Amino acid sequence: MSTINFAAREINFKLVYYGPGLSGKTTNLKQIHAHVPVESKGEMVSLQTEDERTLFFDFLPLDLGKVNGFKTRFHLYTVPGQVFYNASRRLILRGVDGVVFVADSAPNRLRANAESLRNLRENLAEHGLSLGDLPYVIQVNKRDLPDALPVDMIRAVLDPDGGAPLFEAVAQQHVGVIEPLKAVSKLVLEKLAQRA
Amino acid sequence: MLEPSLDLYGEAAERVEGLLVDLLTQSRARYALLIDRQGFVILHCRAAWAPKPPSLDSLATLIASNHSANEAIAQLFGEASFRETVQQSDGVGTYVESVGDKALLVTVFDASAPLGKVKLFTKRALERIQAVLDETREAAPMADIGGSFSVHAGALLDELFGDGKTP
Repeated sequence: MSTINFAAREINFKLVYYGPGLSGKTTNLKQIHAHVPVESKGEMVSLQTEDERTLFFDFLPLDLGKVNGFKTRFHLYTVPGQVFYNASRRLILRGVDGVVFVADSAPNRLRANAESLRNLRENLAEHGLSLGDLPYVIQVNKRDLPDALPVDMIRAVLDPDGGAPLFEAVAQQHVGVIEPLKAVSKLVLEKLAQRA
Repeated sequence: MLEPSLDLYGEAAERVEGLLVDLLTQSRARYALLIDRQGFVILHCRAAWAPKPPSLDSLATLIASNHSANEAIAQLFGEASFRETVQQSDGVGTYVESVGDKALLVTVFDASAPLGKVKLFTKRALERIQAVLDETREAAPMADIGGSFSVHAGALLDELFGDGKTP
């Protein structure tokens, strides 16, 4: 839920990168952090295990500048992808404004993609939200894998109606990282405009 | 429609800021922050003698997330939440209290401020902040920022990310 802080004259949005373990959610945030101008970003926080798997979340604040006299900010989060960290994922979805679902192109991860999406729907429902009402885009990552599944096959599993914008990516090489972020941010703003 | 993170603005915000300053003076803590449960900073104060604080965005996000995690732990035991959250190292500590169901009051202190004193004055500040919020609740303004907000914000997104293409 977009929030306005009258005391500090700030408007804040929360975007969450969701997806199965090792699909590249943290890599997305690292790439964004590396490529956004210094004046537009804050510190990136990563809560990781010793083997660099996300334990709780990664966090990156982006500052858009002043709009109509309000400092406007996007807070980007990732969730831990590993199945057993569901309690953490549910917490991080609290107050979410938009979701980037990071899917893995590897053939043996198709089921993990589908299960993660189902888990996202369940956790959103816990907060009284549904994916259909939320700004939501899909990033199909790891397109450089030699045996990457066809995008159409992944879409057929994750978004058979074709309603969600879909972007191909090789996040590790900063390919297809900015597009989904920009797209979901614009969808969040459009939704805000509709409600106003 | 935007939801206010807390119904706090104008004179009430100034009064709460004054209460945070009092809290720092009385407890000799370093920083006092009012943050919302999503981890956004609403108000913050720093003691004149205190070193530059770390990134407040990071601090607020970690405190709010930690608080949510602690609540989830309490709920595993059938409790709504833990009454208070204290963290202390050799050099620095944090003390967190809930402000209603939307915000958290955070006091950051060092070894020169006894924990008992920090707790006492934080609880006292909390009562007074809650009283200010109760007084102002009726008068919350409409969060109308004008229809042009999304257009202008969209233009800034274009400026920040260019055409959105990555090489």
